[in-house]
Amino acid sequence: MKKYLLLTPILLLSACARMDHIQIGDIDQSQGQLKPISVKVSENTVNVDAALVVTDAIVKNASGSDEVEALRTIWALMNMGPRTGYPVFNDSYAQNVLNQLYAQCQTGKITAIRSIREANDYAIASGEIVRIDADCIM
Amino acid sequence: MIRKFCLLFIVLILNGCVGLNSVSMTQVPKNKGQPVEVNAHDWVFLNFTTQNDFADRAVDNLKEQCVGGKISGVYTKHQTTSYLLVFKREVIVSGYCDLPKGTL
Repeated sequence: MKKYLLLTPILLLSACARMDHIQIGDIDQSQGQLKPISVKVSENTVNVDAALVVTDAIVKNASGSDEVEALRTIWALMNMGPRTGYPVFNDSYAQNVLNQLYAQCQTGKITAIRSIREANDYAIASGEIVRIDADCIM
Repeated sequence: MIRKFCLLFIVLILNGCVGLNSVSMTQVPKNKGQPVEVNAHDWVFLNFTTQNDFADRAVDNLKEQCVGGKISGVYTKHQTTSYLLVFKREVIVSGYCDLPKGTL
């Protein structure tokens, strides 16, 4: 048990960056100076499968883990199919990025848009990030 | 015996499997201009990394290749090559630089 207690803060404090997708748009440097702008939105979520694996490992030392295994199977079946990153419980966290981007660009002329889907993994939790970097034509 | 292991180890280290994470492309105009291409990558051990900054370098390098012009038809390829315990994350970007007349 002591081992797990020691392991938990290490797992929680160490984050791994993950990049799922990057898309780069047209870059127009012919209309004037460019000012970098950026919008980043994220949603924290729990990696349920990893949490169940940890639970499984703890429970195995006690009585048994058939119930946890069953939960893992149910969760896997519920989340079957293609997806990017870990499932989140809020599907609207990345909806307002365009307005936020325009708010940073007074001229309204935006170029070099980079859409990046990335995440910070903290073992059983993760921050699922949508980052839009761009340049504002001044 | 040791020789065999050394040979196997070298083969494993040099052998890489590529996984294509994503590709995207923007519109290509009739007057494309000259082709430009950049490649940015980083190496990670066991996928432990704390940053994705390498992708930003690709954009900076692309801008440097077309100062004062417009890059269109931007093709972005994000791929990961897996070696033994080590991964190479790579962003390859190509496009067409259309410089204003008189700057060629």
